[in-house]
Amino acid sequence: MQREVGTLPLAPALRARLAAAGFQTAQELLDTGPGGLSKEIGISREEALEALRVVRQECHGDAARTAGGSGTTRKCTALELLEEEQTQGFIITFCSALDSILGGGVQLTKITEICGAPGVGKTQLCMQLAVDVQIPECFGGVAGEAVFIDTEGSFMVDRVVDIAAACVQHCHLIAEAQQEEEHRKALETFSLENILSHIYYFRCRDYTELLAQVYLLPEFLSEHSKVRLVVIDGIAFPFRHDFEDLSLRTRLLNGLAQQLIIIANDHKSAVVLTNQMTTRIGQSQSTLVPALGESWGHAATVRLIFHWDNSQRLATLYKSPSQKESTIPYHITCHGFRDVQPPAVSHSTAGTELNPRKRPRTEEEKQ
Amino acid sequence: MDWDQFDLNPKTIAALKKADIKSVKEILNLSGADLQRLMKLSSADIQCLLKTVSRALRRSSMLTALQLYQDQDHLTSQHQKLSLGCSVLDNLLKGGIPLVGITELAGESSAGKTQISLQLCLCVQYPYKYGGLESGAVYICTEDVFPSKRLQQLIDQQHKLRADVPAEVIQKIRFGNSIFVERAADLDTFQQCITRRLSLLLARGMVRLVVIDSIAALFRCEFSPAEAALKARYLQTFGAQLHSLSTRFRTPIMCINQVWVLGSRVTPALGITWANQLLMRLMVSRVSLPGHSSGAASHGAGTRRTLSVVFAPHLPPSFCYYTVQLEGVKGIK
Repeated sequence: MQREVGTLPLAPALRARLAAAGFQTAQELLDTGPGGLSKEIGISREEALEALRVVRQECHGDAARTAGGSGTTRKCTALELLEEEQTQGFIITFCSALDSILGGGVQLTKITEICGAPGVGKTQLCMQLAVDVQIPECFGGVAGEAVFIDTEGSFMVDRVVDIAAACVQHCHLIAEAQQEEEHRKALETFSLENILSHIYYFRCRDYTELLAQVYLLPEFLSEHSKVRLVVIDGIAFPFRHDFEDLSLRTRLLNGLAQQLIIIANDHKSAVVLTNQMTTRIGQSQSTLVPALGESWGHAATVRLIFHWDNSQRLATLYKSPSQKESTIPYHITCHGFRDVQPPAVSHSTAGTELNPRKRPRTEEEKQ
Repeated sequence: MDWDQFDLNPKTIAALKKADIKSVKEILNLSGADLQRLMKLSSADIQCLLKTVSRALRRSSMLTALQLYQDQDHLTSQHQKLSLGCSVLDNLLKGGIPLVGITELAGESSAGKTQISLQLCLCVQYPYKYGGLESGAVYICTEDVFPSKRLQQLIDQQHKLRADVPAEVIQKIRFGNSIFVERAADLDTFQQCITRRLSLLLARGMVRLVVIDSIAALFRCEFSPAEAALKARYLQTFGAQLHSLSTRFRTPIMCINQVWVLGSRVTPALGITWANQLLMRLMVSRVSLPGHSSGAASHGAGTRRTLSVVFAPHLPPSFCYYTVQLEGVKGIK
């Protein structure tokens, strides 16, 4: 945004006029707008719009480059991909059983879908993840920020406050147990207010607003490069009414899935979607299946189905490229998403690590 | 649609007008390839168009969770809720009914659903500082006749129920004038009621509570098992319309529902399709207590009434007991 006008890829004559009129940075051009620009330097409105479009593209390209995103294809070997994947962060859920069936937690660069009946805990997990993504690295987190796109109005900030306070408390306990300087330092900025200020909330009231918001996400994520989680709660609600033409719905959902896959990859973020359940009427019985149809089933890399067994909540890993299908029980407490029994308390330092995947520190790294 | 007001290239604006594209929704519904073909523009131009209209639609719509938390303005704050008129019941719900979304109150007949709904119709009329929304209510009856005698009893006894409110404040409120009763015994009438009457009352700011008593009655007789898909569509459409009105006007929608008894379990009617539309589900039940003679002196001494939270994004599953007295519904600590 602070690029000098002289360095922008515009026609030399145009650059000369801009310099003569006193414009110095790209931001000044953008602030002036097309009308003002065409008046100030005596060009047509069309030319002004074209120039601004080029400026925006340049600035967006700069931001994307510095954020590490890539717009072009790159070649690499499967080994490189494997190594890259193994160093990918995971966002822990605070339910160690769920983290372990997922292979460490909710994985960055992948789309995870959570399906379940109303009240089973989908939104609770989303709120937990929006807090957990911010856990500092020294506690085993990815130190990221979160985007929360709400289509149902179920994001109740008071609940997020409870979850965030419990998370901060947990980190304080670890810091007290381990007495390491970096923990103390990290806790200075890991506070309730900080956590809340890094959850970016968008309310979309119909599918058009949702589509528009997803078109704008890449730009938003470039400007907020620390975001590591994008939640859409829920993806089904805006798409399950108002569609006479189901093929339009399928096409829009496919497009959305494509965009989310690119976003997850380019910005090294986890994308988490929640979906509803619907009844599929079979020949002899009816079963509950995820909504939005068969083709939507291919959108997510990882699919979790939350369900009830009498009064016990269960999570089943239904689809995953690397983990096997399994079911674990979980609880939702006043502190958030948790295991059914607290995991066995171990007194070694490894036991107090939040993230079981974090490699133990070696002497060379400590330097 | 006046495309000139958008920050678009005149070439793009001309192409939009020529292709007879009338709304942002149309643009976003078309695929990139279709847009290129219809407007004869390059893919870069189309990407620019999509970003520009998206930006215009979503201008300044981001909030941080911190801003949501710190917002104390009663017109926008999430902390603002509709009180039930009793501190015990309000505590169960951490303040009261949320202002945006559909809340369901399900239970067997005579459990107290109508009592609670009538009470809400009075509570909504109080000033903000007493947990109200300073506005009226719409009561949509789908089967029974509206209980006007009971409403009058409740109005007369408000000073007794709301001891927390000064008498002069209560006296100033013309309770009966602000409750609009509508009858809708079938689906089409109900549809009309939502899209016309309700929108009008909400747009004029005359009501800030909608009670539907009951949603289940609309679907009882009209659908054969083979018409399950049609029934689901109606439920989804109503749900979406009510949800949209609730969001636009920050008005709670209270839907009363009946229950099905499956073996030993009691579940709300209308299945998962309806449950998917809800923000919060409450259930009321009424149990006769053993060991009380049928000639018990005080009314209802032999029954125990329970109000429970089945699900809500901000509440744990919990319950409390309550009684129905002359002045209204009161929780028991």
